[in-house]
Order: sequence, then structure tokens, then C-alpha cells
Amino acid sequence: MNAPLEAGRFGSGRSVQRIEDAALVAGRGLYADDHSRPGQTHLVFLRSPYAHAEIRAIDTADARAMPGVLAVYTGAELVAAGLKPIAGPGGFKRPDGSPGASPLRRALAHERVRFVGEAVVAVVAESRDQARAAADAVLVDYDELPAVIEPFAAMAPGAPRLCEEAPDNVAAAMAHGKPDAVAAAFAAAAHTVSVDVHNQRLAPSPIEPRALNAWVAPEGDADAGRLVVRISSQMPTGVRSGLIDSIPGRTAENTRVLVGDVGGGFGMKTGIYPEDIAVAWAALQLGRPVKWRADRLEEFLSAVHGRDVTSRAELALDANGKALALRVQGYANVGAYASGAGVAIQVLIGPWVSTSIYDIPLIDLKFTAVMTNTATTGAYRGAGRPEAIYLTERLMDAAARKLGLDPAELRRRNMIRPEQMPYKNPMGQTYDSGQFEKILDQGLALADWHGFAVRRAASEAAGKRRGRGIATFLEWTSGNSFEERVLVDVTADGFIEIGSATQAMGQGIATSYAQLAVDVFDVPIDRIRILQGDTDRVNGFGSAGSRSLFTGGSAVKVASERTVDEARQLAAQALEAPAGDIEYRAGRFQVAGTDLGIGLFELAGQQASRRIHVDASATAGGPTWPNGCHVCEVELDPATGEVAIVAYASVNDIGRVVSPTIVEGQIEGGAVQGIGQALCERIAYDPETGQLQSASYMDYAMPHADGFLGFKTVFDTSIPCTTNPLGVKGVGELGTIGATPAVINAVIDALDHAGLGARAEAIQMPVTAERVWRALHLKQLDPSPFSG
Amino acid sequence: MTNLQLIVNDRPVVLAVEPTALLADLLRGPLALTGTHIGCDTSQCGACTVLVDGQAVKSCSVLAVQVAGRSVTTVEGLATAAGPHPLQQAFSACHGLQCGFCTPGMMMTAACLLANNPAPSSAEVSEALEGNLCRCTGYVKIVAAVQQAATAMAGSAA
Repeated sequence: MNAPLEAGRFGSGRSVQRIEDAALVAGRGLYADDHSRPGQTHLVFLRSPYAHAEIRAIDTADARAMPGVLAVYTGAELVAAGLKPIAGPGGFKRPDGSPGASPLRRALAHERVRFVGEAVVAVVAESRDQARAAADAVLVDYDELPAVIEPFAAMAPGAPRLCEEAPDNVAAAMAHGKPDAVAAAFAAAAHTVSVDVHNQRLAPSPIEPRALNAWVAPEGDADAGRLVVRISSQMPTGVRSGLIDSIPGRTAENTRVLVGDVGGGFGMKTGIYPEDIAVAWAALQLGRPVKWRADRLEEFLSAVHGRDVTSRAELALDANGKALALRVQGYANVGAYASGAGVAIQVLIGPWVSTSIYDIPLIDLKFTAVMTNTATTGAYRGAGRPEAIYLTERLMDAAARKLGLDPAELRRRNMIRPEQMPYKNPMGQTYDSGQFEKILDQGLALADWHGFAVRRAASEAAGKRRGRGIATFLEWTSGNSFEERVLVDVTADGFIEIGSATQAMGQGIATSYAQLAVDVFDVPIDRIRILQGDTDRVNGFGSAGSRSLFTGGSAVKVASERTVDEARQLAAQALEAPAGDIEYRAGRFQVAGTDLGIGLFELAGQQASRRIHVDASATAGGPTWPNGCHVCEVELDPATGEVAIVAYASVNDIGRVVSPTIVEGQIEGGAVQGIGQALCERIAYDPETGQLQSASYMDYAMPHADGFLGFKTVFDTSIPCTTNPLGVKGVGELGTIGATPAVINAVIDALDHAGLGARAEAIQMPVTAERVWRALHLKQLDPSPFSG
Repeated sequence: MTNLQLIVNDRPVVLAVEPTALLADLLRGPLALTGTHIGCDTSQCGACTVLVDGQAVKSCSVLAVQVAGRSVTTVEGLATAAGPHPLQQAFSACHGLQCGFCTPGMMMTAACLLANNPAPSSAEVSEALEGNLCRCTGYVKIVAAVQQAATAMAGSAA
């Protein structure tokens, strides 16, 4: 291999076709359910039909006798076998100072069920149909208990209790800021505004349901005797840890977790689920491969939900519209089993960004996580930041309305200025970079903000009501985990393999990492192979919180540069020349000024291991603070109440861009999820019985292909992040966070203009056609959801 | 078990199936064509869409025995010896996929659309894709991909 390899146009900053795509469009992806093994068995869960009940007895005799049935497991059996519950929110505190509380979340319910859909019995059979039939033959004797579904009802005296440690059903609470100073600021303020908001519960809904296949590797296999789990997950190492923590005898050495293609995650596939433990346990007991694939019904019932926080948010301003203090009280419904993530998202992570891009000196934030007889909440795209930013952006519009100012102008008066960077917000979080007014100005220009009156007039001439909404905002990314390790192997057969514990779930990590490697190795992108999803090779936090590129990508750069440095030393030995005289270009080392040289891959072949191996870590200096200006215009149809998105423009600062096409897809796809929350999505439980009323895609309204044909998406790449070597900022959640307030502010603007004035601010999400029609024709708006 | 004969991706297939087996189960199980995906229980998501005698059909809602004697095309049958199908090329070129799970169903629905309407407007594409859910892309780039494929197919047919 003497001729240089030309890298071509595949380095960072260029739009390339993703290296993931060829297999996926051919139908050759390897999702968890695609993998089957000899002797494959299938597991089916029997789930609770009640929101709250004592389990008096379970009769599995008939089920065990059904054709093909191999095993039937109950919660009592798993407890007797020593399986441990999944850790709860013990790291947080309740208002009385006691540790954060939750009932024990077990692989299968034990003694009591606490939400509709909780797994109670696991049946394993030769086929899925046989397991289903046998699950139907299990007799569970329940003693139904009163259930509580709403958080305010759950905190009332005498409410049904989820666990004895929390008589008030409060899992945990946190207060941030200076309440007295805030109260004084409100008392003295020229203006105050307030909004009451229910940030409704959502189903993350990756189209691939959860699935896993677990087996004990047979004799003769390299893994012989070990538990191997192939699963759809964003956090392979977290799954392994969850199995080790729960199942007696499991260790990092005897447990291997593999992840192939993941059909969407959005936060929902982080960490361990009770079902994962039950499947792994069954495989260990039976000595045969055991597979479970969730039905969509099971996903709605028992995968984590997102959001579900009811808040009162207030802003105090001076006569010029300068914000003086922010006060928020929030009550999050974290479900029957409070999780550490579900609590952290609401009481801590959201508050980190509550003051957003605005210089608001004082805060008083109180967040309470309340348990109810509903499914557990956890991470869903944005995870706390959408909830917080929605409040802030609603308050900004309410203030502009009250002061009679252009909403963009009011925001401008409050923005943190570039010369204030690095800026520490009242939560103690430090923003490294940001030029928010510059982003605002570009957003206004892109959206033709000042030309709106003409478009409104045209819409009104056509019998429609038009509104315009803006959100200027930032978010925090990282998952609070900043270090990543990367393994590089240059092989004699001409490839550079890069291993990382970050985990792709559709966001194109392999392509972005390969582009970064091309920058350093200066070889064609088809020479780069990305390894992920194998805990025997790579371990770490995984992918969540828009952290992969700035942590893992930075490590790819660092490890790749180190590889070239080490290879240069090897080349110096091979060429018998000083390393300082050796130049590297396009996969080849050359002694300067001579034609003496050696190819990188040839050099690898000369090593005893026939490869050059480098193991390197990099640590980002802090989270990243991507930000943007999103502007939406809507048309309301007075005849039907339907809301149409007629324009959507966004300017985004995500620092330096590695893969332009990929980040555009992240912003637009994310924005449609935010639009889904604004206009159609809602998890609904019957408030009396706790039955899930939105348990299929027929009842849970997902965004469809119609209606989203006009995105204008722009990136300002001139404001790099200063705390990581790539200068990049996270992008995965930005669109979702910005879209919801931009859409709702536009709807409220249209309703305001239709004569409802500030009363329109009472409208709640999702803004369905019915809500709009009632507002327009009956002047009916939602009662306040807040009763704290 | 019932004996079943059909054509899958232009190849004759003869095998025994349970009378309760769904077409999706037949494809993913005995035929190992795992490019057809199952994403819901109520025929709403469309990830399992295949062509039966050229018509887009949700294979999770059809019994295997119902396709006896018919011709089924799955995503694995889209490409030819000459190379990838224009839809496959366009989905990649337009970034019409992220996680890729809905993609086979999207492309099969689009293939049916383009067979009937070689030059659909964006509104027509959106309407045709009403029965296919995507959670990643926001659909805009999927619609663009279908239109790009239509243009490519028109060019190659001319």
C-alpha cells in the first residue's frame, strides 16, 4: 500500500451519507428482536389489571400444564431466590429530611401491585403464542385497593399510600434559591405575571419496542457459561450493572451485554427495566435462550413516561421589562415507583436551566416529586429542560403582553450579554459561551418576524386566525458524565476500528465519529469502523442527555491523535529515522524530503500483534449549553378549531458542526416531537380507576406525516463551546425543547388576537381542535390545573 | 399446520405454517426476513408494511394463509442485481432515516404509491404515508426522499 489514500470530502463539517444507512435501507439492520438462537424460548408477562391491589394468591398450576410451557415465575419466587429490587431515589431527600422514598421496584410485583400494567407473572414457553395462552391461564386473586392518580390528590390527608415511608406520597423534594429576597422583589416589582401549566405526561414511543434475548453461552462457545444479553438499550453498561445489582451471582466478568441497532431511544431505553431482570433470570434458570419483545400495549403501560409536572410560575419585572425574580412551584407525578432519574429530572435538572438565557438574578424554585398509581416516569427527550423552558418562555410572552412590548424585544432586554461569559446562573451552573442576541436577530430575520402583519392579514382574509410564537432558550447537555474512553485499533488488513461505550440509537454516532477520525487519520471514511454495544469491549455511561459527541467524539479525536503519535514512533523505528523528521499524510508516514516511507496499515502489519492499539480517555471540562431561537406561525381554523403549523424557522447554536445533515435531522425530528406535545400527545389515565386510556397508537395521538413541510433550519457555527476539544455542543434535544413553547406561544397569540386577550394564557396542552374551538366560540378555557 | 405456497421476493416458497400465524411472523421467523419490523399491535405504525401483489399491506394484520399463491415483496426484495432501489438511495441521500426501524415500512408504502402515482406532490406523499409512523425524522426528509426517488425513477424510465 504505497500510494497515499485520499480522504476525500468526508471529514467533519461536510454532509456525507451515513455509514449506517446501507444496511438499514436494505433491511439488514440487527435490532434486538431480529436475533434468535437455537432452542429459542419466549417469555410473556401477565400484567396487573388494577391500579392498586393486594396480591392474595397466584395459582399457576393450570398454566404450567399448558402445551409448550417451560416455566412460570411469580414475584414471591424471585424474592425467595434473592433477587434484589431496582434502586430508587434514596439519594434525594423528602421535605422532612428523610431519604427519598419509593416502594421497592421489583422484577415482578410482590404482594402488591401499584399501577395498571405492572408485571406480575412471567411465563416462558416454546413459542410466544403458547406463553400468551398460558399467561391467560394464570389465576391471580387480587384484593383491590383505593388508587390515587393525581398528584394533588395523592398529597391530601387520607389519600391511599404508595409506601409507608411516605405518608404524604412525596418521594422527594428540593428547594433552590432565596425565597425571602424573591418575595421582596415581587412585592416591589412594577409588574408581575403568572402562568399555571400542566406539562402533560407523554409516551416517548420509539417505534422499536423494548426487546431482549438472554442466554447462557453453551459449552464450546468463547463465552461458555456466561450470561449474554442482547438488548435494545442506550446504556449497555447500565443494563449490565442493573443485572449485577439485582441477580445473585452476577458479576461484570460473567455477564455480557450486547446492543445492535436500536430503533429509537429518546431517553426511554436508559438503565435497567424490571422486565430485563426477569428475562435474564429465566435464561439463567432454564439454560435456554429466552426472548421478550414488548407489545405496543406493554410499552404504553410499563415503559417510562416523560414529563407530567404541574406548575405555577411567576416572574417579577421592573417598569422597563427587566426581569427581577423567577418563582416556580412544581409538582411532578413520578408514578408508582419513583426512580432516581425520574426525580432528578424534575427537582434538579430542570431547575438548572430555569433562568435560561436571561439574566434573572433571583430565583425561588420548589419542586416536589409525588407518587401515584401510574407508570414510572423517567427520561424523555429533553428530560426536565422542556418543562423548565416552557415555563420561562410562557412567562416571557405573558410579560410582553402585559407590558405591551414585542415579545422579541422583551426577551432582548433580558438576555445575558456575550461579555458576561462565562456566566454563572442562580443555580450555580456556568455557561461557557453564547451570543443570544445574535441568535435572536438571525432568527427574527429567518422567520421574517417583522413581516408578520401582512401574513396575518392574508390568513384572516381567508377566514383563519394566525398567530406567531417565539422561544429563545438554552439547554444543558451531558447526563453529568464527562469522561469517555475510546479504543483505537489500526489493523494490518487496512481498517481503523474505533470503540466507544456511547451507544447509537439512530442519531448517527458511527458516521460522526468516523468523520472525526477522518480528520486525524486523513484516510477515506470506508477505512473507519465504529465498534459499540459490547460490554466486553467498551464500557461507560452510554448515550443520553445529548452527550455523545462532545464527550465520546472528543475522545475519538484525542485517541486518534495519540494513535498517529504512537504510530509515528513505530515508523521512526521501521524507517530508522528521527520521529521528528517523519511526516504523516493520507495513511502514510514519510521521512521529510525523501521518498522513504511506510503506510500506516503496513506498519500495523509489522507489529507482533499485527495491529496498533491505543486506549485513551478524554474528559470534557463541563456540560455544553446549546441554544437557539425558534419561531413558529400557526393558523387556527375557526370552523373546526384545528391548528396548522404554517411556518417554522429556527437558528441554532450548537457550536462547531461535525455532520451538517445529521444535526438538521436532529433539530427537525426533535421539533416534531415538541410539536407533538404541543398539539396532540397525551397519556391519559382514568382519574378514578387508574386505567390507561391512551394505550395504543389509536388513542395516543402521534404526529403523522402531514403538516410539517416547512422547516427552515439554520446553524450559527461561529460560537464554539470552550470546554471540549471539538468545540461542539449537544444537539439531540434542542428541537424538542424549543418547539413546544414556540407553538403554544403562537396559538395563544392567535387566540389573543381573536379577542380573548390574556385570558388565552389559560389554555393547556395538548392544544387540540376541541380546546381551540371552545376558546374561540364559547370563550371557554381550561381551569387552572394547579392546586398546590 | 397448513401447507402454504407463495412467492417471496420473486422466489417460490413452500412451507407449513400454523393457521394462526401472521404474515409478519412468517417473514420474520421461518423465512428469516427480519427487515420487516413489528412496532405496534393495532396496525397503526406501518413498520411491517410489505407488498402483496404490488399493494402495500400491513403484514401484522394478515394471516400467512391469506397470501397463499400470491407474491410478497419485502424490503429485502427492493434492490436488484443492478443495485439498490431508487427509494433506498433516496432515503439515504435525503437523510430520510435515523434509527431505521420504520424505514422498510416507509419504503414499501412509498413503492406502492410510486407504482400508482409516479410524480406525487408532497401532499400526496404525506397522505400516502399516513399509516406509517416515524418518531425520529419529523417526516420532512422522508417526504423529500420519496419525491427524489420519483424523480430518479422517472429519469431512468425515460
